[in-house]
Amino acid sequence: MTGVLTTRRGLMQAGAGVALAATVPATARSQSGPLRVGVMTDLSGPFAGAGSQPLFWGAEVAIELFNQRGGAGGRQVQIVSADSQSRAEVAINEAERLLGQEQLEVVTGIYSSAHAVPLSGRFQQQKKLMWITSAIATAVLKDKNLSYVFRPTVHSDQYAEGSVSFIHEHAKARLGTDPDKVRLAVIYEDGPYGTGVAAGIEAEARKRNMPVVMKEAYSATAPDLSTLVTKLRRERADVIMHAGYNPDITLFLRQAKSGGLRFKMLIGHGAGYSQIDKLSETFGADVNNICNVDPAATQMLDQSRLGAGVADLAAAFLQRYQARHQSNDPPTHASMGFNNTWIFLEHVLKPAVAKTGGMTADALREAALQVDVPVGGTIQGYGVKFARPGTPMSGQNERSIAVVMQFDNGKSKVVWPTAIGVPPVLPLPAGHTYAAR
Amino acid sequence: MDPFLLEALLNGVLLGGVFALPALGLNLVFGVVDVVWLCYAELVMIGMYAVWFLYTQAGWPLALACAACLPLVAGLGLALHWLVVRPLLNAPPINQVLATGGVLFVLQGAATLVFKTDFRSLGVDMPPMELGDVFISGTKLIAFCAALVGAACLWAFLKFTYVGTAIRAIARDREVMPLMGVDPRRIYLIASGVGGTLAGLAACLLVVQLDVHPFVGLSFGPITFMICVMGGLGNMLGGFIAAFLMGLIISVGGFVGSTEMSYVIAFGFFILVMFIRPQGLFAR
Repeated sequence: MTGVLTTRRGLMQAGAGVALAATVPATARSQSGPLRVGVMTDLSGPFAGAGSQPLFWGAEVAIELFNQRGGAGGRQVQIVSADSQSRAEVAINEAERLLGQEQLEVVTGIYSSAHAVPLSGRFQQQKKLMWITSAIATAVLKDKNLSYVFRPTVHSDQYAEGSVSFIHEHAKARLGTDPDKVRLAVIYEDGPYGTGVAAGIEAEARKRNMPVVMKEAYSATAPDLSTLVTKLRRERADVIMHAGYNPDITLFLRQAKSGGLRFKMLIGHGAGYSQIDKLSETFGADVNNICNVDPAATQMLDQSRLGAGVADLAAAFLQRYQARHQSNDPPTHASMGFNNTWIFLEHVLKPAVAKTGGMTADALREAALQVDVPVGGTIQGYGVKFARPGTPMSGQNERSIAVVMQFDNGKSKVVWPTAIGVPPVLPLPAGHTYAAR
Repeated sequence: MDPFLLEALLNGVLLGGVFALPALGLNLVFGVVDVVWLCYAELVMIGMYAVWFLYTQAGWPLALACAACLPLVAGLGLALHWLVVRPLLNAPPINQVLATGGVLFVLQGAATLVFKTDFRSLGVDMPPMELGDVFISGTKLIAFCAALVGAACLWAFLKFTYVGTAIRAIARDREVMPLMGVDPRRIYLIASGVGGTLAGLAACLLVVQLDVHPFVGLSFGPITFMICVMGGLGNMLGGFIAAFLMGLIISVGGFVGSTEMSYVIAFGFFILVMFIRPQGLFAR
């Protein structure tokens, strides 16, 4: 092969082949052969260890299972993967490659809101479908009226609603104080994700008349957060709300311990806090009873309350995922990767192929706008119905649900919404490393 | 005095100690060999992985794992000089920078392949020192003391040994020393080994404070370069003082303003220094 390519004739033949392929219209190619779907996640760089890698693995299992169940109209789905390397400029270049060189009609994935914000405009401009399975900043969609960008997962305002409501509901009974006396502190990484969550928390707290005694941003790559710890001690915060990736979360927890920081509760907001295996491995019992807000990982839900066939799907996912990736408690991002990719494959791609015989971005977009899955219809418990173009959150799944979960010896259990959760341990029990004394 | 402000001041000093060691190593290499090792933080990263592996996977005592890390990273420093820098000694500076920058990506990629993207932790914990309302991290305090001892050893080596004198002489006048019978190639190699050893020591001190991952160099690498330039590239004492200055600016700036703002102040100060003294604060 090498020999053929290195001869002048071989090179000319190869060049002619490439030129011929380029002249075949995308629509013609989309009518036959495998259905090529882009999956862009961060497989290297700091985001990989903060949830992006399991996000990809979850998507991988979804596509594999979808293909085994017959694909769409008998056609198999082929992954075209891209590693955005935890860098926005790489994400933009990779998106250009996927849309230009690879001529894809749809790209799924996108872990970081810092990537989703610049990418969403490009997809809209090029009229190609962007299917966000993880990036949660409300700002990605709010008031942008994007018609080619869809997000089946939750957005940052829902995280804020979860954590603030949780404390508000339990303040009197468990913290022994009125909600308006609970001193909240918000610390967050300074990208769109952290900023979005922090703004949401501040707004929710204001709505409920709860005082935010400190609100401070930091860079996720900061080598030291000890001054932040000192200031939190000075402000005597009862509850710390944290939105961070990794390694900033582990740096904060370590420096909080050595800096003598004590509190009644710490609530994380997804990303690095959803990597329960990693946190437990690093901190052991120190992370017990700490809370986190995210869509529920499927194993946290009461499977009997899910829709017909959904529990089987969840079981198939968990079995395959755990067989391939050793995990005590598969992270939320694995469920997110699987679930949100599955929603695309089953509820968007399949109908689009059935209707048009192909998968153009416009056909997919039309199909996405028709999706109507009731609550309980996906493995993460939520339903799916996208906000219509012309509405403030156009493209956002209006039926997505975030829950508050609490860590319990390496596992997570749902503690809010109260209707579906178990009673929380609040405040942190006496003897806990971070418990207020 | 406000105990929290005092704590912020102490944190700044301790943080300076953390920055000082890699800054010393980088400055030593630049001062002698006249080549910037862009991949210096990645040498530290490899050292951190070595300590993590020997301690948590191979079950070595931590002190032994750290002791083994020093010659390992020193060896990496030697290999870097022999394989990458030496062939480019007479090449334009941009080629040297690009070559060591290339090594940076190779080391990050190799670490990703071998150790994956997971965050690894030693799980070593030390109780903090409590002085009234002031908390001082035990790990940081030990790291700070070790950094001072490392810096003192380097100073003694450069001051009282024949090789150290030759290193200082080469750093002062690269052209004349060969005429005096000093073999610069040998001195370059030794300086690279010492620079690598300092990276190894920095790795031992950082691995108890930060999680190890292939991109951990991003946390302290850029600021180490900034410190070296601010103190005067190649000026070891300048770099040492600049490290503490930077630690204090970040810590006290973060206390008075915000954590995010503290880095803006630090970078703003750096830019100001570059305008006023482009050769660095302590350059002769």
